[in-house]
Amino acid sequence: MARMMFLCDAERCIECNACVTACKNEHEVPWGINRRRVVTINDGKPGERSISMACMHCTDAPCAAVCPTSCFYTTADAVVLHDKDTCIGCGYCFYACPFGAPQYPRVGNFGGRGKMDKCTYCAGGPQQDNTAAEYAQYGSNRLAEGKLPLCAEMCSTKALLAGDGQIIAQIYRERVQQRGYGSGAWGWRTAYRLEVQS
Amino acid sequence: MSRLLLALFAAAFLAAAPASAQNVVGTPANPAPVPPRALELEMQQMLTGGRIAGRVTIPDERAANLIQPAGQSWRDFHNTTLTWVGGIAILGVLAVLALFYMTRGRIPIEGGPSGRTIERFNLLDRSVHWMTASTFVILALSGLNLTFGRFLILPLIGPEAFATLSLWGKIAHNFLAFPFTLGIVLMFLLWAKDNIPNGRDIAWFKAGGGLIGKGAHPPPAGRFNGGQKMVFWLTVLGGAAVAVSGYILVFPFAFTDIAGQQLAHMVHGLLSVLMIAAIMAHIYIGSIGMEGAFDAMGSGQVDLNWAKEHHALWVEQEMARGRVSAPPAGAAAAGD
Amino acid sequence: MLIKRSDRIAAKARLASVYQGLSSGGLDRRAFLRNAGLGATGLAALGAMPLTVARQAEAGPVNHAAPVQRIKNICTHCSVGCTVIAEVQNGVWVGQEPAWESPINRGTHCAKGASVRELVHGDRRLRYPMKLAGGRWQRISWETALNEIADRMMAVRAASGPESVYFLGSAKFSNEGAYLFRKLAAFWGTNSVDHQARICHSTTVAGVANTWGYGAQTNSYNDIRNAKTVLFIGSNAAEAHPVSLQHILSGKEKNRANVIVADPRFTRTAAHATDYIRFRPGTDIPLTWGILWHIFENGWEDREFIRQRVFGMDEIRAEVAKWNPAEVERVTGVPGAQLREVARKFATEKPATLVWCMGATQKTVGTANVRAFSVLLLATGNVGGPGNGANIFRGHCNVQGATDFGLDVANLPAYYGIDETAWRHWSRVWGVSYESMVARFESPQFMTMPGIPSTRYFDAATAEVNPQTGLAQRDRLKAMIVFGHGGNTITRMPEAVRGLEALDLLVVADPHPTTFAVLHNRRENTYLLPICTQFECSGSRTASNRSVQWGSKIVEPIFESKSDYYAIYQLAGALDRAAERRNMPIRFQADMFKNFEIVNGEPTPESILREINRGAIASGYSGISPERLKAHMANQQHFDLTTLRAGPDAPPEVRGDYYGLPWPCWGKPEWRHPGTHILYNTALHVKEGGGTFRARFGVERNGVSLLADGSASRGSELTTGYPEFTMEVMRRLGWDQELTPAEREVIERIGGNVSWATDLSMGIIRVTMEHGVMAYGNAKARAVAWNLPDPVPVHREPIYTPRTDLVAQYPTLPDRRAFRLPHLGVSVQQRAIERNIARDYPIILSSGRLVEYEGGGEETRSNKWLAELQQDMFIEINPADAAARNIRDGAWVLVQGPEMPRDKWVRVKALVTERVGRGVAWMPFHFAGWFMQEDQRRKYPQGTDPIVLGESVNAVTTYGYDPVTFMQETKVTLCQIRAA
Repeated sequence: MARMMFLCDAERCIECNACVTACKNEHEVPWGINRRRVVTINDGKPGERSISMACMHCTDAPCAAVCPTSCFYTTADAVVLHDKDTCIGCGYCFYACPFGAPQYPRVGNFGGRGKMDKCTYCAGGPQQDNTAAEYAQYGSNRLAEGKLPLCAEMCSTKALLAGDGQIIAQIYRERVQQRGYGSGAWGWRTAYRLEVQS
Repeated sequence: MSRLLLALFAAAFLAAAPASAQNVVGTPANPAPVPPRALELEMQQMLTGGRIAGRVTIPDERAANLIQPAGQSWRDFHNTTLTWVGGIAILGVLAVLALFYMTRGRIPIEGGPSGRTIERFNLLDRSVHWMTASTFVILALSGLNLTFGRFLILPLIGPEAFATLSLWGKIAHNFLAFPFTLGIVLMFLLWAKDNIPNGRDIAWFKAGGGLIGKGAHPPPAGRFNGGQKMVFWLTVLGGAAVAVSGYILVFPFAFTDIAGQQLAHMVHGLLSVLMIAAIMAHIYIGSIGMEGAFDAMGSGQVDLNWAKEHHALWVEQEMARGRVSAPPAGAAAAGD
Repeated sequence: MLIKRSDRIAAKARLASVYQGLSSGGLDRRAFLRNAGLGATGLAALGAMPLTVARQAEAGPVNHAAPVQRIKNICTHCSVGCTVIAEVQNGVWVGQEPAWESPINRGTHCAKGASVRELVHGDRRLRYPMKLAGGRWQRISWETALNEIADRMMAVRAASGPESVYFLGSAKFSNEGAYLFRKLAAFWGTNSVDHQARICHSTTVAGVANTWGYGAQTNSYNDIRNAKTVLFIGSNAAEAHPVSLQHILSGKEKNRANVIVADPRFTRTAAHATDYIRFRPGTDIPLTWGILWHIFENGWEDREFIRQRVFGMDEIRAEVAKWNPAEVERVTGVPGAQLREVARKFATEKPATLVWCMGATQKTVGTANVRAFSVLLLATGNVGGPGNGANIFRGHCNVQGATDFGLDVANLPAYYGIDETAWRHWSRVWGVSYESMVARFESPQFMTMPGIPSTRYFDAATAEVNPQTGLAQRDRLKAMIVFGHGGNTITRMPEAVRGLEALDLLVVADPHPTTFAVLHNRRENTYLLPICTQFECSGSRTASNRSVQWGSKIVEPIFESKSDYYAIYQLAGALDRAAERRNMPIRFQADMFKNFEIVNGEPTPESILREINRGAIASGYSGISPERLKAHMANQQHFDLTTLRAGPDAPPEVRGDYYGLPWPCWGKPEWRHPGTHILYNTALHVKEGGGTFRARFGVERNGVSLLADGSASRGSELTTGYPEFTMEVMRRLGWDQELTPAEREVIERIGGNVSWATDLSMGIIRVTMEHGVMAYGNAKARAVAWNLPDPVPVHREPIYTPRTDLVAQYPTLPDRRAFRLPHLGVSVQQRAIERNIARDYPIILSSGRLVEYEGGGEETRSNKWLAELQQDMFIEINPADAAARNIRDGAWVLVQGPEMPRDKWVRVKALVTERVGRGVAWMPFHFAGWFMQEDQRRKYPQGTDPIVLGESVNAVTTYGYDPVTFMQETKVTLCQIRAA
């Protein structure tokens, strides 16, 4: 089975936010919930780099490890998903997540969080694939249709790569060899424990 | 599988390439470009406990953190430290109490009940106690559920029922925090003056509270003895700390950032399990552990003999004020 | 769906609270259903608008059980021209998929492109025609609206003449819409018709057309993949044209190319450059001459290219000699010697291309900037081949097409100009007599007199009528017909308010109300017409690289909105009826639409494009038929990524074509000219898209030949320069004999010395192409353009400059007149110095784009997926300037410009960043809805207010116009900032 990963090539990412709105468009994600975002480090200075970040679907996912209700599960493609029916919105996954991926709608009283929402790698949730019920809770399920996450598919400069880890790492490696530079695969060490040198 | 990948990538990326350097010209001069590198930054931040952060256009400041390695430490705390500390503390106290009960049994009132009572806690005192106690129990159980429920309850009742239970538990936890806090404040106001530690408490502790060893006699104490003062301050101070850290968690990111949230959770979790362990001992001694003790918070009227045994100085004060009830007809004479 | 999308938000509520209440919490299904119910009833009750007639497309997930229709259209935002693939079910646009086969975007989008589906769900679109009655918006029918508008227009015409009506068109029209709008203005009888090109690349068009013939990008985004050196001056393509960076960064990686960004601001583009040059805003010419100084100094220029194909380079050398490194540093702030490396790369690591955008064009010296850049390209021989050229990234999705079709005060479609020859040509194309067209104008003199540029409409509405000191026409501007144009993108907004309030009639035809609806305090005679987006109708649009792409209607126009075609056709009919009522002889609809096929009350875009094919010969739109364009869209996957050419394995209907038939695509569609991927490319045969510099300016100047010397396109029978072809030239060469009888008959019917451009038979082009010769001639490019105010570009300090010490040596232009209005220069600059403006307003203010928004921003700020990403208008301030003013990052600040009232400030958020240098501040220009701290949300018709409002930078900007096109100055003015 493929081991799905994200890799953002910071030498290509220009913070155009296509990934962000593609995600919003595909899943109709409400205002205030950002399954994906672009962070610019060293803003305005030489060495500035932008990196698109969402759930990285970690190996040994911290969110799953700390979830009090064990609502997370990992698919055969190594996509980390969760069951909103058993999520209680406790917020623990946000504390544990290295990438700030979990999002919570603000509901009801004071800071009460609703059920956690995060990037599904366009792979829906536990319901039957591509049903209205699945869409309502998790958005569309592109993986079941044989498509990759829309954020990566629509990335303006093809900076954001999605797909089998070996393949995208190979693409990235070829780029680095061709151009002679690269700042590395952001988050890979943390998410996949892979020492990605470049 | 992941090891195989690791080997593959390690090989694939060994050929190190520098990040692109940039020539910068013009005024005002910029600092020399130092291109960031993912791996090094990630390692460095992990070691120093920092974060890789930048700028985002959305107003959510949390989103500006690209990578926060501290999540890993928090995970270790939550899954290992807290579980073990909590488990050991609670099970340990249970074990000690069981052992104590087995060896010491229920501690009787020395000389038996007198039949005469003295009002130890009035209605306000007792209401405050029970409000705090009842909310504490629910808070404790719903809190423990977040750490231990998935191991203990989830396998028994299944994910749906467990989720419902946990969700209600979370809601109860969030709301009951308010009466609990109120109780802590009121307890402080009502009882703080009688809980100021003094020299007698040292003697009390030296004597093991009169609980250790058969036939031991509790040293004389005021309204509250050393042990009770300890419980009081543990409740008030610990409760306050738990409450403060709890409010930080209930209003996430309203007061602090991710590091603060993690810290708040750690403080909350650790103090809570320790308090739970301590309160378990308090519950024991206030109920099955000691004859006559429960009445203090039950009816509020305790047996005079019990009172004299444990709070001799206080009884003297109360008697001087004439607050002891008349002996019932045919009651046995009081102790001495 | 995670959120109910029909949430109509109460207009006055604050943004954050609004969204917190409604759009969150929908994440579990039960909560969603509950919220949906709330959304439908609770909010409908808030709005007074009846919802029964309005048709709103409901969004929803794709129903995987039902069939899905895939329809291709083109993104309606920037000029890159990304293909959008819409998934449609039951007439509802339910999903958007990557268009992998498009050679331009290859499936990708930017934030705007990835969110276009939201546009046709239209939470905040204008739903039906409205008018202001007593200062309140009132719903009316299309018929009523058009009749009342037409009546007012006729009243203005009767009282003040046709020149008092202004037609402001749009770069978001389709080509067919733009053409129709220009034709409407012509039939109304005025040249006061304009669009956004005025404020984006008018100076580019003027500058490059005056250099080598056509006012367009010479190469393409894809072709930059071939470049070894890419120099950006005043372009932030990473934010303005994000998908272009796919090609640029790929090329950079593949060729290890130099990417050099010269910009006062360290932009997202600069972050990806190999070299970054920060220079003082407004000193592009000294910078360019500073680079050229090193090139000449080191002999890096391309002497053979200059000898064969460039006129007047010696005069340039004389000017450049003044710009030694010391002087360059004194003026620009860039250590002059450091430009040597840039010069070496640009001149010797070829092919090198120069990319520029509004950082260069929106200046009082915009045309001169463009000319200097063109000269730099010519001196290094970097024009007319793969990987080089002037890659001018244009703005809106169809700003190139709208320019091509004459939404310009001095042009008829296809750059024919407005002289009698041009009018006669287009009269023939339209099938009306020239005399009948003359009769529509105030006088024959006005027919050939350029109209009023869009940057000055408000001056024309308020200035006194006086041919010497004021407005040179019969009466002031009385009516504005605005199609698809924002009001906040034009400088000097306080004056615009006065101008709009002085009008008798204001019509805004747009999917959104725009700033034109709210900026002023009008109470009557103001109309809003809901126009659909290009996703709701079909038509062609021309990308920046001149590729024309056909977009197919995705869904029916939502609510009561209508297409531009419908609105213009029906307005013409209403004008007829109004004229009839007033016993005025003029008529519109019958003559104007006689060549078009009318279906469902509107002309079909195909029939309009066929008329364009017949007439737009000079810019080579003649070969671009709807059938060919549709074939290209259907076969996108067969076009090469770098050459844009369809290979031998492509289906016959597109084989050998360049993608989108980049104009010029000569002759008739059936000749199958492939289009011209790279302009002026002599390495190709003219039949294969080759070309030469255009002979537009005669054959000699002061005894020096203007024709090319020993250079010609491949396979040309004439191996050196030649003039443009007329029948006389044909006869002299004996080629007139090769014309067919039919062609000859057409030419004779036209009469006179017919030129290739007015030859409706296209026989001259056919014959010359057979000889491998370019009908427009083979000339030298002009390094010296003697017809411009500065034939050789010279540095001129901005009007409001902080460097008052340089003004004496480099003053702005003297006061003059142009476009019927006074054009002040030196007097304003001197007054600023006398008033010590630079002391009171010490910070240079520049403006520019954000990736999330476009243009005036009304459309994109109404798109919730985009609006969330930029919620506040801001100003970028250098940390040193911020510290000196006690300004924190993210805090509110007040900004004032030198022409604002002393007690008025605009209130924006501070973004403290090193993107800008010390003494420079920068603001995005997409915001509106707050005007000098007045929140104008309540002035929008209910439910149409954009989600995000903010202060407009153009409330702060100041006077300043390019002499050639009246381009406004938006990039260099002065301001003061203080903590709020």
